[in-house]
Amino acid sequence: MNNAVVNKPKRNVPPEWLAEFEAAARRPLRQRWKYAFIKTYKPVMDDARYRSFDTMAEYREWCEKNLPRWLGYGRV
Amino acid sequence: MGAFEYRQAEEIRDAFGRHGVRYLFIGKSGAILLGYPDSTQDADLFLEKTAVNGNAAVRAIRELGFELTDDQAAEIERGKDFVQLKNGPFDLDLVFAPDGIERFSDAWSRRHEVSGFPVCSIDDIIASKRAAGREKDRESLSRLESFRDYLRSRGLT
Repeated sequence: MNNAVVNKPKRNVPPEWLAEFEAAARRPLRQRWKYAFIKTYKPVMDDARYRSFDTMAEYREWCEKNLPRWLGYGRV
Repeated sequence: MGAFEYRQAEEIRDAFGRHGVRYLFIGKSGAILLGYPDSTQDADLFLEKTAVNGNAAVRAIRELGFELTDDQAAEIERGKDFVQLKNGPFDLDLVFAPDGIERFSDAWSRRHEVSGFPVCSIDDIIASKRAAGREKDRESLSRLESFRDYLRSRGLT
């Protein structure tokens, strides 16, 4: 199989995303990491130093009941 | 507390390695390790749910500077499905049973190693986000799927 075919994405990746993926691939991991991690305060979520849940279902339920909706933790 | 730094990710990798913890980076932090350009706040780690692994994880986490009570340590050793740590030098989510992934051993067999970091496959990262079904993941799923296609087109997955 020739490389031109191999290198084409299997489905249409939007050109702006493709450009971002390719730009990211050119950056060293340490730099990608620096760009990716941003700390912002999340109300309620960040107000306890430790939480644990027996099941993921309990965790999801807790998120839906306790977190502000705009944080996006509610289930679709 | 500031943003999670690469140096701290290296500290996790090294401490978990020293204690023989079986774990994988999952979620957006895992995708970022695979090259996905996006932003996130903290690291999610998928841990194998065994007593031995839980015990090793507690030792590593304490070594990293997290202040765990004995009760909290026991919960991690027991492998509660989800543990959120904000009592250390950075935030860390421990996931013992992520949505959308049947067994740790399956995910382990599909993992990638990136600079010594064990990372879930992009398929597993997508599967767990899809199964979680959260509003905040809805928008990122199509972009993650495009990233998977991009990786495949370059023979990177």
